[in-house]
Amino acid sequence: MKGAIGAALVAAMFLAGCTTAEALPEGRADGGAPRPVDAKDPAVIPSGAAAPAGSCDPRASLRPSGALPAAGRMPAGSTMAQIVKRGRLVVGVDQNNYRFGYRDPKTGNLVGFEIDLAYEIAEAIFGDRNKVQFRTVTTAEREKAIQENTVDIVIRSMTMNCDRWQRVAFSTEYFSAGQAILVAKGSAIKGLKDLTGQKVCAATGSTSIRNIAAKAPQAKPVSGADALDCLVMLQQNQVAAVSTDDAILAGFAAQDPSTVVLPERFTEEPYGMAMKKESTDLVRFVNGVLEGLRADGTWTRLYNKWLSALGSTPQPPAARYQD
Amino acid sequence: MAVLIVLGLATGLAGAIGVRQRIDLINGATARNGELTVAAQRLYRALSDADATAASAFLAGGVEPAAMRERYQADIADAAAALSIVSGGRAGGEEGDAAVAKIAAQLPVYTGLVETARVYNRQGVPIGGAYLREASGLMRSSLLPAAQSLYEAVSEELDDARDSAGAFPWFAIFLGLVTIAALIVVQRYLTRRTNRVFNVGLLAATGAAAVLVIWLAVSAVLAAGRLDASRDEGSAQVARLAGARIAALQARADEAHTLVARGNGAAFEKDYVEVMPRVTQLLVLDGADDATQAYARAADAEAQKWLEAHKDLRALDEGGQYGNAVTAAIGTEPTSTASIAGKLDAQLAEAIEHNGKTFTREVDSAAGALTAADIGVGLLAALLILGAALGIQRRLAEYR
Repeated sequence: MKGAIGAALVAAMFLAGCTTAEALPEGRADGGAPRPVDAKDPAVIPSGAAAPAGSCDPRASLRPSGALPAAGRMPAGSTMAQIVKRGRLVVGVDQNNYRFGYRDPKTGNLVGFEIDLAYEIAEAIFGDRNKVQFRTVTTAEREKAIQENTVDIVIRSMTMNCDRWQRVAFSTEYFSAGQAILVAKGSAIKGLKDLTGQKVCAATGSTSIRNIAAKAPQAKPVSGADALDCLVMLQQNQVAAVSTDDAILAGFAAQDPSTVVLPERFTEEPYGMAMKKESTDLVRFVNGVLEGLRADGTWTRLYNKWLSALGSTPQPPAARYQD
Repeated sequence: MAVLIVLGLATGLAGAIGVRQRIDLINGATARNGELTVAAQRLYRALSDADATAASAFLAGGVEPAAMRERYQADIADAAAALSIVSGGRAGGEEGDAAVAKIAAQLPVYTGLVETARVYNRQGVPIGGAYLREASGLMRSSLLPAAQSLYEAVSEELDDARDSAGAFPWFAIFLGLVTIAALIVVQRYLTRRTNRVFNVGLLAATGAAAVLVIWLAVSAVLAAGRLDASRDEGSAQVARLAGARIAALQARADEAHTLVARGNGAAFEKDYVEVMPRVTQLLVLDGADDATQAYARAADAEAQKWLEAHKDLRALDEGGQYGNAVTAAIGTEPTSTASIAGKLDAQLAEAIEHNGKTFTREVDSAAGALTAADIGVGLLAALLILGAALGIQRRLAEYR
């Protein structure tokens, strides 16, 4: 009997004392900066172009048909008349490209060289520069926005090239850019040849990301949803260099004085306003507006207003036509 | 005799220890897990609100309004405080540990990105917006999912603790019934052998055993009933209300991010359209008390108002009136979606607090149902053993 009681007591003590010290958690966590939304490392390089470079004159657009119609009196049945009927011009722009098209954080308004060009086109259509609605589009979505009629015109540092001419129509050139490289001051990277094995960033769907793959095949391309995401990644040491249009990079260097644009410029990137391929009347109208802006000094005035930091004011890019 | 005493001892021990363990589970695990669940919810809410507030502050333009800055800072402080509670409670097992470590590591990264964005915004350059997008991406793709899994792990533990605490004491009751059976067999045997009908000691032991079994059973059933009520009228409602609150906060962040993206925010708007019906669905509360139903109705009315106001806001933005759309979203007038979402959040917060109190009350009364049962069961077991021992002792003495 004593044995039984003893066993019961042992069992009771076991039951009562079943809590043992809990092991501590592993406490493991990854450090480092996060990747910006939709950034890709390694980047996906778009496959072959529908029309190779050199198969056309990418700068050649459609000639304006005579004098511009008076503001508010667009020819019946024209694309411009439809825009007037709607009551506003819808323009696809950037809100991250300093000095070209960006959101002024102090006011929340979109401002910049390209934004002012949009105002000029609205002025020509409506006689009221404020009848314009801006929609931001990412680099990769510019063509889609035009094809799906989300916007009438895209004015967003878009390079005119033969491949894109297959799907959209461009205005005449309104700015001449070229691809360059931005690095942190003091970086060992001095030019294209030093990019071997280095992570180089550009925007998804840009001509820049294709050019990196073509001109620096030993580099490791990384892409951001927006070119500005590349500057964020450079600041966070996620990439060693950013390579895109010199105009965009100058804006980066202005925002971060610890970075520098390397002098080497290894491509030509003519900027055009993109429109629907079928809307030839709108393309000719916009080219007419651009002729006026070049001739009356507006282009130079806007350049001086926004882009004087890029260097001495050049002549406006000459209009070239295919017809 | 030895068999009887061992049985009595075992019944008493199993009963008393079982009761003690269940009281501990109720006071400890259940009440504690209830508080940890609340802390996990608080963490999620604070993080989600920080995301929505940072986006709204960005929309406000310029130097953000002081009230928005304060709200953001309060959110971050609240998130950190709630995280320290959950972390100190070691809740949610391995999954919980991993989520806590992740949030603790990434919350400072998130705030760093937000502050970087703020500094650049004050300088008037667009890279601030890029930092804010990166911060929000980290929040939505990493921090909030971690907080969500933490909440789920913790509330699962609450359910487990409640199930153990409310379990019926089958083993102790079985032992008690065996003891009673054994006592009856012994008494019948003695009656046949000695022709005496009653043996006072054994009769008392039988009585004590019967009372013990009934006490154990009744107290267990009562406690389980209160625990069920703590779930049905407390934590289950809190879970649904918290779900609605979190969905509403997510919708609020979506609305702000759609405007921040400025024409490029279709994904956020799609998320808003998906999330808002969840708010209404979760506000259908079966088994909630009248006060909660009233809160839910008021919250639902705000949700409907919000949907209407949101439609107008989207029409403004789509129609090219971006500035007016921003005012409709973050303005301080009562018709702005900020005001409506604020009222919705306040209704849900009150409903959650009300049900949290119900939870605590029911858990307390569950513990109350078991009060003194451990001591009572112990005393009864002692009485049982004593009665059995005395009763048999006397018979043995008569034979000597």
